[in-house]
Amino acid sequence: MNFRIIRNDILKSKAISFTTMVFVAVSAMLVSLAAILVVNLSGAIDTLMTQAKTPHFMQMHSGEIDTARLTSFAEQHTNVEEFQVVEFLGIDGAQIMLGDQSLANSVQDNGLSVQSEKFDYLLDLNGHIIHVSDGEIYVPVSYRKNNATEVGDRAVISGKEFIVAGFLRDSTMNSTLSASKRFLVSSNDYADMKNLGSMEYLIEFRLKDFSAIGAFETAYATAGLEANGPTVTYTLFKLMNAISDGMMIAVILFVSVLVVTIAFMCIRFTLLAKIEDDYREIGVMKAIGLRLSDIKKIYLSKYITIAATGSIFGYILSLVFQGRLLENIRLYMGESENASFAYFFGIIGILLVFLAIILYVNFILRSFRKISTAEAIRFGTSQEKSASAKYFSLSRNRLFNTNTFLGAQDVLVRKKLYATSLMVLVLSTFIIIVPQNLSNTISSNSFISYMGIGNYDMRMDIQQTDNISEKADYILKTMNSDSSVSKAAVFTTKTFKAKTEEGTEENIKIELGDHSIFPINYSEGRAPTEENEIALSTLNADELSKKVGDVITLVMEGKEKNLSVSGIYSDITNGGKTAKAVFNDHTADVMWSIISVEFSDKSIVEGKVTQYANLFNFAKVSAINEFVSQTFGSTINSVEKASTASVAVALIITVLVTLLFMKMLVVKDRHSIAVMKSFGFTNADIRVQYISRSIIVLIVGIVVGTLLANTLGEVLAGAMISLFGASSFTFVVNPLSVYLLSPLLMVCAVLIATIIGTSNAGKIKISEHIKE
Amino acid sequence: MNKIIIGDHLVKSFGEGDEKHNVLSEVTVEIKEGEFVAVMGPSGSGKSTLMFALSGMDSVDGGNVFFDGKNLSAVEEKELSDIRRTKMGFVFQQPTMLKNLNILDNIIFPSMRDNRKNVANILEKARVLMKRVGIEELESRDITQVSGGQLQRAGICRALMNNPKIIFGDEPTGALNSKSAQEIMDIFSEINASGTAIMLVTHDAKVAARTERVMFMRDGKIVSELKLPKFVGTDIDARVEEVTAKMREIGI
Repeated sequence: MNFRIIRNDILKSKAISFTTMVFVAVSAMLVSLAAILVVNLSGAIDTLMTQAKTPHFMQMHSGEIDTARLTSFAEQHTNVEEFQVVEFLGIDGAQIMLGDQSLANSVQDNGLSVQSEKFDYLLDLNGHIIHVSDGEIYVPVSYRKNNATEVGDRAVISGKEFIVAGFLRDSTMNSTLSASKRFLVSSNDYADMKNLGSMEYLIEFRLKDFSAIGAFETAYATAGLEANGPTVTYTLFKLMNAISDGMMIAVILFVSVLVVTIAFMCIRFTLLAKIEDDYREIGVMKAIGLRLSDIKKIYLSKYITIAATGSIFGYILSLVFQGRLLENIRLYMGESENASFAYFFGIIGILLVFLAIILYVNFILRSFRKISTAEAIRFGTSQEKSASAKYFSLSRNRLFNTNTFLGAQDVLVRKKLYATSLMVLVLSTFIIIVPQNLSNTISSNSFISYMGIGNYDMRMDIQQTDNISEKADYILKTMNSDSSVSKAAVFTTKTFKAKTEEGTEENIKIELGDHSIFPINYSEGRAPTEENEIALSTLNADELSKKVGDVITLVMEGKEKNLSVSGIYSDITNGGKTAKAVFNDHTADVMWSIISVEFSDKSIVEGKVTQYANLFNFAKVSAINEFVSQTFGSTINSVEKASTASVAVALIITVLVTLLFMKMLVVKDRHSIAVMKSFGFTNADIRVQYISRSIIVLIVGIVVGTLLANTLGEVLAGAMISLFGASSFTFVVNPLSVYLLSPLLMVCAVLIATIIGTSNAGKIKISEHIKE
Repeated sequence: MNKIIIGDHLVKSFGEGDEKHNVLSEVTVEIKEGEFVAVMGPSGSGKSTLMFALSGMDSVDGGNVFFDGKNLSAVEEKELSDIRRTKMGFVFQQPTMLKNLNILDNIIFPSMRDNRKNVANILEKARVLMKRVGIEELESRDITQVSGGQLQRAGICRALMNNPKIIFGDEPTGALNSKSAQEIMDIFSEINASGTAIMLVTHDAKVAARTERVMFMRDGKIVSELKLPKFVGTDIDARVEEVTAKMREIGI
């Protein structure tokens, strides 16, 4: 009998049952996909890093290197299993031609390497260690993804010709987040070209016991070994390999939570409406002694059917779509060893969705307990009525026209039912506004100064060369004699040793110079102005656990120097770990210098960049706009895309849910509609009543959604931005689009959906529905 | 006297093909201004359908309905609504009240649609009517807090709010006990005495006996008619006997 009840029930409410099932299927698909991806990703990363024997500790270094000293350190340290120094020959992008494409515009530091001897192998796409012949070159796999080149292409590097023999996976530099990319050539070819680029060293260690990495890092820093460059550990390599696909998984999970929520909303309002409809029947069943659990079962079984069907479809869909999403993981990292587990975890994922739905339905059905048998049988409706609705009476109404009043009153009386559509509208408003604000904020001019970049027009980087200080002075002199330059300043970055709380020493990069010329935003405190002051980036301050006013001790030539922290700022440059100070120093080597320049006339910036790029061929000259767009232009771009997509998704959800809700209301209200029509209310009158219900709910939804977006949304977006090293974060709101355009779009969506959804109200025949 | 309603050869059928059957077959009926008529017949004889057709609440498949000289089949939905709101009143078997509204609001809501500026007049009129049917104490009660008879009285008040030319009653006493039914019929007689035409659909000979003309229906046709003198409060038993005798005669 249950089967017949379920079938009739589902057939009677085809549209809403189908929609609920679609939402369940989509959310099950997304959860299952996320599970499959997580398992594959972690498996593939493990496989890649095991096959390549990724270093546990890597110190990048440019400048002089004392290999003997490093070797003796490695021999003396008991935890070191293996040690090697890998050379990386940096080649300017303009000197690299792949097929007929030049890498001149590449933001990556491209360079040549030979195959490592002991570990950190470069692998081919089958996961085997590559043995490269003379005249052949292997290209980082990321260039395959960009369709930059194909196997068999001709490649010209600094005038020397190669044949592209294949693509390589590099477990340390695969990720697009890693700034360097290694091209693999034979030892003979490498020896021929050694003088054509700038040399950088990768000092690499494998440890016997990786858990003691902390002690090893400290030992390395304390020994005062080569450290002119970033330090990376195994954990970070793993994270970098995981992050881009990990972000995708995070987005999928986020969307699936959203879709599950909407599925819950659909279930909630159909179920509440059904309970309202069946009030008398439920009372009768209770009266004749059916147990609550028996009555519940009748309702629950429908949702078990819907949820089970949806989940199974979702799982099948996830199997269909997984290939496309796994493509990237397969290309960059290869197959996962535990791929078969993935399907199992996918099933666990959909089971979770299924159980969540059943628990939720059970939760809603709790209200059965509150149904009074006598009341249900006598009146067939719940007698609960809110106090506010009682005071809201037609005879006292002078404000609204009668149709608007009747609409508004219905919303007040049936709050529970409308709460559901309210929640959907709040959610929609939220997902329309937050990405929009985020996108607007990060593309606004003021945001750059949040990111540790002052407001200047052109920057010149001097790096990986000798006599950096002299060259910087020379440039500054030239700038000062150029009448179109309004401001110019030199910032020199040096590495110092800072004492940590535990008494050990750690490297810290400090940018020295006058920080008042191109001020940035400080989330706490202010720029350093005195000799004994220092400002820390958020990530550095967190790591050293320092606050404004704390003292930090530097060790310079054996002497300690105390600096007080004057301020903390956000930074996205140089991995987010930087510091700023103004003191003079002649003890440490210069790592790099930056000359920042502002012009009085902004229109000449482009010409000046070309002019000075030719004049100072030892420096990298770039316009700040270019620098910003290359550094996080792709982020701005993808956030913009995401924000457009979320507007579309939110509007579709709004239209769909409003449409269903209105259709359901009309069916529920057919008796009232018949009564009103019999007393001379026109179809237009009825439509106005439904529109006013929608608009009232919408207005509340927009207000609440906007408030939430600007509070909770800002916190969420801030948390996301802080991953990049930014700390203080406030939305830069475009009021026109957020407070006018977006609400207008919502109003249109809801109006259209309401009008379509209530079109059936006109067809209700009085004679068929008046006698209920 | 002028005819307020003319139903001319009305046809209404349900179903398709072989299943098709006529609920009204070529029914012609007239009601004069201020007349008090009843339609009787067994279940499924088409009496309610006739009432819905005459009041324009349901369309017909053949024939025409003229209300106050206007052909209802030819007017737009809007105008039809206007006619129902301003010139007709309805009382149904089950209390057809809006759940969200209290008794008073249920009585005034059709009038409030047009005359919001005259709220004071509307309220005054509603209170006079409520007093007349004896429910003046109940105005702010919820519709679930009163008895069936009281709801039916409220329904009559609602039907009278716009001074209709005719009131249609579809088994208005069908759900009431005999005492309440009698009281409701007293109210109808009073309304009719003040000039409003009334058409009742009923099973009950006691109800039909209060009217001036009883039409008997069977299988979608009016098969007989019984004329009675105006009811003045006496001889009810004899009138009931006359109606039942007629029913026996035509076999319904």
